[in-house]
Order: sequence, then C-alpha cells, then structure tokens
Amino acid sequence: MITNGQNEENLKELFERFVSTEEAEQAMEDIQKAEEILREQSAPEPNSELVSDIKAEIAEVLLRRETSTFKRIAYKAAVAVAVVIFVAVVSVKLLERGGSEPKRFATASIIPAAIWESDDAELAILAAEIEQIEGRVLTLQLGEDGANGDRDLIELEMRLIALDNDFWKE
Amino acid sequence: MAESSNLAEIINGCKAGEAESFEKLIDIYARRCYGYFYRLTGNNEVSDDLLSELFVKLVGKISSYKGGSFEGWLFKIASNIFHDYLRVKQRRKKLLEVQKRQLETKIAETGEADAERIDKLQIQLEKLDGDTRELIMLRYYSQLRFREIAQMRSEPIGTTLSKVHRGLKKLRELME
Repeated sequence: MITNGQNEENLKELFERFVSTEEAEQAMEDIQKAEEILREQSAPEPNSELVSDIKAEIAEVLLRRETSTFKRIAYKAAVAVAVVIFVAVVSVKLLERGGSEPKRFATASIIPAAIWESDDAELAILAAEIEQIEGRVLTLQLGEDGANGDRDLIELEMRLIALDNDFWKE
Repeated sequence: MAESSNLAEIINGCKAGEAESFEKLIDIYARRCYGYFYRLTGNNEVSDDLLSELFVKLVGKISSYKGGSFEGWLFKIASNIFHDYLRVKQRRKKLLEVQKRQLETKIAETGEADAERIDKLQIQLEKLDGDTRELIMLRYYSQLRFREIAQMRSEPIGTTLSKVHRGLKKLRELME
C-alpha cells in the first residue's frame, strides 16, 4: 500500500510560517484526515497484462536503439573511408602531375562486407554511392579516364560532399 | 518506497539500456503512476495509455536525469504527459462533464449500494477544480514534499500549501 513518505517534512512548522499555531494544527488535521480517505479508497491498479505489455514494448525499443547505434557507427565508418579514398586519389593525381611514373594500386574494400548486408534502405543507397565512387577512383587510378581527370575529381568531390551532407542531416 | 541506493543502481542500469532495470523501475512505480493518471482522468483505458507512454518515454529521457528527487523528476514527466493529453484532446471541460455525467448515470443505473463500490472518491474529486485535483494527486502519489511540489510548479510554497489544504478540506467535507 502506498504510504506518504513526506513524514519527515515538518508540516506544522511549515504551516506556522503562514498562519497561527491553532490554524496550523487545524490545517494539519484537515490534511491528515483527507489523506486517510485517499488511502482508504485506493485507485484501481494497472492490470498485470498492461504491465507485461509495457515491459515488452520497452525491451523492443531498447533493441531498436542498439541496432540503430550500430548502423550509425557503420555510417560514420563508411563516410570516413570514402573521404580517405578521395584524399588518396587526389594525392596520387598530384604526384602524377609532378612527373613521376603513374602508380598502380591494388584496391580492396576497407569496409566489412557484413555492414552492407542489411535491409536498411538508407544504408543500401549509401552502399551504392560508395561503390560508384570506388569504381570511379579505380578508373582514375588505372588511367582509364581519358582527358577528363580533373573534371572527374571535381565531380567525385561534389558527390562526397553531398553524401556527407545527407548523412549528417539524419 | 525503494531504498535510495537500490534505486540509484536501477537508474544506472536504465541509463545503460538494461531492460531488466526498466522492469524493476516499472514494478516500483507503475501502481503510483497509474493511480495518479486514473484519479486525474477517471478512465481506465486512458490511464493505460498514459502509463505506457510515460514508461516508454522514460527510455529516451532517463539519461537527462542528473540526480535529485527521482519521484519529482518522474512525476514532472507524468504531469507533462497528462497536460499533453488534455491539450491534444482540447476538450478538458467537455471531458470532465462527460465523465461526470457517465459516472452519475452509472450510479443511477446500479443503485445506491453499488455506487459506493464504483468509487465515491472519484465522483467527489470531479467536483474540485482541475488544478486543485491535480495538485492533490501529485502530492499523494508522488510523495513529494511541499517544497518540491512548489518548485516543480514554479509557485511560492505558501500558495501550494494553501491550495492543497483548501482542496483536501473540501474533499473531506464532500466525502462526509
């Protein structure tokens, strides 16, 4: 049964700050008797089914939050990797312009494949974007871009900026 | 009332996202919060919904609890939920009138003896103004001190004391 835990509060003293001692005693009596009525006529309790439902709903919410946290980390990792790739390509291009021999790189996805094996639509779009960018990077690295190297770099940069903006909008 | 050290552990568990800790929190506070909602709405179904909303909302809000009276914090959220409910429905007066009529109809239908069982207290509570009724229920179910209630409502403690006293005195007279 609910008991009022405010007993440590000195009600009489509190009332005496505003009214006379007699009035304070009367006010305390009024409060105590009315609260006795509230205790005697207790409100209905939530049924056990409702309590179980709430617990189940909370467990589900917590699970969703865990999954969402993992995806957020995956998104961040993906964007970071894309930026690293872009910077690497720009560096290579600059080195090539410096007259050194064009270099050949073996490329491999740094992002674990499992991250992309999700049914999340946003993640799928992001995966497709990054795959395209990786493809373009590979083309540039292999020197198959004809005479449009600079334009492709600018385009890649624009796409990365757009991707980054979209990501942080969430 | 939960031991404060035990309660602190439970709250920390909730902050860490442990479902078991939330279950314990529900076991401790569900009855009191339900009673609070029920006495304010006089409706079981609405109280069911508000109680669910309160605890689900806690999952997102628990990290913002930075210590102090947990009951004060919890019932502040409960009070906000109740007010949101009233705002969304935009029919406070209408609702109270409908409930009053429904209760009176029930009493008339079931007879005087059964009426006692329906809940005489709820009927008399409807006769108090909304603010006083809420204040009395907040005091009773949250078990907060007057000082904390006054702080929560951003009003002088003398005002809170006076409102609770007048409300309870009137309730007592109505019940006698």
